[in-house]
Amino acid sequence: MQRQATGKVFLVGAGPGDPGLLTMRARERIEQADVVVYDRLVGEAILELIPQGTTRIAAGKACGKHSMRQEEINELLVSLAFRGRRVVRLKGGDPFVFGRGSEEALYLRRHGIPFEVVPGVTAALACTAYAGIPLTHRGLSRAVHLVTGHFRDDQPLRIDWQRLADPEATLVIYMGLGNLETLARGLIDAGLPAETPAAAIERGTTLDQQVVRAPLEQLPARVQAALLRPPVLVVIGRTVAFSERLDWFVPEAPPEAWQDEIGAHTAR
Amino acid sequence: MKYLPLFLLTSERPALVAGAGRVARRKAEFVLRAGQRVRMVAPGPFPAALHWARARGMLEYRQGNVEEADLEGVGLVFAATDDREVNARLARWARQRGLHVNVADRPEEGTFIVPSVLDRDPVLVAVSTGGTSPVLARRLRARLESLIPSAYGRLARLLDAYRERARARIPDEAARRRFWEALIDGPVSELVFAGQEARARLEIETALERAQGARPEGEVYLVGAGPGDPDLLTFRALRLMQQADVVVYDRLVSKPILEMTRQDAELYYVGKQKDDHAVPQEGINQMLVDLARQGKRVLRLKGGDPFVFGRGGEEIETLAEHGIPFQVVPGITAASGCAAYAGIPLTHRDYAQSCIFVTGHLKDGSLDLNWEALVQPRQTVVFYMGLTGIGVISERLIAHGMSPDMPAALVEQGTTPNQRVLIGTVATLPEIVHRAEVRAPTLTIVGEVVRLHEKLEWYQAEEHRPGTVFSSH
Ligand SMILES: C[S@@+](CC[C@H](N)C(=O)[O-])C[C@H]1O[C@@H](n2cnc3c(N)ncnc32)[C@H](O)[C@@H]1O
Ligand SMILES: C[S@@+](CC[C@H](N)C(=O)[O-])C[C@H]1O[C@@H](n2cnc3c(N)ncnc32)[C@H](O)[C@@H]1O
Repeated sequence: MQRQATGKVFLVGAGPGDPGLLTMRARERIEQADVVVYDRLVGEAILELIPQGTTRIAAGKACGKHSMRQEEINELLVSLAFRGRRVVRLKGGDPFVFGRGSEEALYLRRHGIPFEVVPGVTAALACTAYAGIPLTHRGLSRAVHLVTGHFRDDQPLRIDWQRLADPEATLVIYMGLGNLETLARGLIDAGLPAETPAAAIERGTTLDQQVVRAPLEQLPARVQAALLRPPVLVVIGRTVAFSERLDWFVPEAPPEAWQDEIGAHTAR
Repeated sequence: MKYLPLFLLTSERPALVAGAGRVARRKAEFVLRAGQRVRMVAPGPFPAALHWARARGMLEYRQGNVEEADLEGVGLVFAATDDREVNARLARWARQRGLHVNVADRPEEGTFIVPSVLDRDPVLVAVSTGGTSPVLARRLRARLESLIPSAYGRLARLLDAYRERARARIPDEAARRRFWEALIDGPVSELVFAGQEARARLEIETALERAQGARPEGEVYLVGAGPGDPDLLTFRALRLMQQADVVVYDRLVSKPILEMTRQDAELYYVGKQKDDHAVPQEGINQMLVDLARQGKRVLRLKGGDPFVFGRGGEEIETLAEHGIPFQVVPGITAASGCAAYAGIPLTHRDYAQSCIFVTGHLKDGSLDLNWEALVQPRQTVVFYMGLTGIGVISERLIAHGMSPDMPAALVEQGTTPNQRVLIGTVATLPEIVHRAEVRAPTLTIVGEVVRLHEKLEWYQAEEHRPGTVFSSH
């Protein structure tokens, strides 16, 4: 006998942390959900928007380290959907950018479970906007390159430095904190000028946003001195030079509007 | 007036309720509902109806006749036995100890009466007829019930969340009162009652920000409107859209989105499609400066994300030079939006470890791109504005070693009801564009990830109708 799949899974991008960067669709899906399965990257301010009666499950996936294995998450989503639940799978940034959202979607499809994908503002766009770094700019950058600095544990860091060392592109590295030294060295050896402007942004768009700016060669040391901790986004390219001048974001207390009951109570 | 209407803070000290009959139980429930504990004393067995309160430790019961010692440690007294003598004696003891006491059916023998209450926590409406007619009080309460829907509690909580900020922004008390009046009489209440709390918050936010800006200093909001579906607007974008006095937008902003800007805002269309350059870029930069100088809040609304092939950097550079305050609100870029709605992930563990965004905009018939960097294994290449140059793109990629069979997709009017997804290969792209009469805005995605479209397709577009969503002038 065939099981009837009445549930649906929504792969929802939560954006980088600022609840104001949540899309209306994302908010609506969260409000209608029976269950929200979320990653560790999803900020507290956004989790507070989950209604009181909704079940929350932490998939606890920080970048690179998985406290619930991907297969377990896949299986969880399927079993919830088979039980007829409306499941929101909430992911940091955009679900289709280094978020393994596609793997989850493929698994759902294989099991015949209907799903929807709600794009989110990916870290590359959000962190740069809040740090005053245009990704493209006439005469300075004609391409945006999104890469990951984290590789599968079973594989060595295999990067074609040559192609990344393009002075006319903006290079954005996700999960690049751990290998920053190697990355910077590799790029410089491949011909990217050592003085190329670079920045590392920790917890971009949140109240804890920290930006470290330095020429590429000095970035790893400066990042280490500043004790940056994940999530950190690394941006390398000529447009980073604008950052200081175009810096506008002042981290200030979020509008209370975004805080729900729980937040308000714990604050008292 | 015989009575002083007040609301007492609930206290740690329990209320003594003497009696266990119908009246006594009602009094006990009244106290318990407010969250205060009850000590009940009566000669009969424990009334089963109150078992729930006892189970939660909210009620202690002593079987026996009420004694003076029962008053030890209580904060309030209800004399509700069916014996007049017992009630009167208890009331006397209470008064001697300075405790407030309510006497059932004999209000004049006690020191307080119990109102009929409409509970919309934190809103409480207490009705009293001064003890003259409890029935009338209950009727009145029923009328109020329909007049004050339960959402008033939510409204009160919502307003409470903004009290501190309102005090900080609007220090003048009279001005602040007017501010609250306008909000409560305005759309905020309606929105909360309609269950649209998110929009109500937005209204308050907007009002707060406007109130603060009594000093007319202009500023510019550089805002990404996302790829087309209005639901992909961010809350920040929406808030600024409803706040701006002037909206400067270009072709890629979809009509439904434009309709969400403030009703009375001035709209300026600045074109910016390569052939109908309504206003050249320098003109736009200057226009933003001029409008802000007039004290206007200027919304510069751009399709997708303002920093991805949107020339947003040039605009804020000019603003920074002129010392004009600005904010940047990132948006869902076409690559993210189209990828999601077409079921084509930009990255995938096995198929793409990186993703590159480039522009396919032709300059003097050629494309200035680092082709080597584009022809790489396990990489997704996204071309913005790639339609007119599609022939060059296809030819150059193959010339630089890309397999002619590399899967490729064209996403036309992505995320809108008119979305069209056409799948082919790098080699067949030009022909598809020609045959299917593909029109801008269209995004081109090249890479192995395109293979996943077949499996991950989920979005049902309506029948294809070219060019109805985006502004054409
Ligand atoms: C597993 S990836 C997920 C990316 C996500 N799907 C997105 O689209 O942004 C995690 C990495 O994203 C980056 N990241 C995400 N949010 C960030 C933030 N608020 N600040 C800085 N980096 C962030 C960091 O590089 C982090 O290591
Ligand atoms: C001048 S660029 C601006 C890009 C925008 N700033 C962004 O981040 O999406 C215009 C190009 O974006 C792409 N584009 C924007 N919206 C799109 C949509 N809804 N569907 C397909 N492509 C779109 C098209 O390639 C179009 O030619």
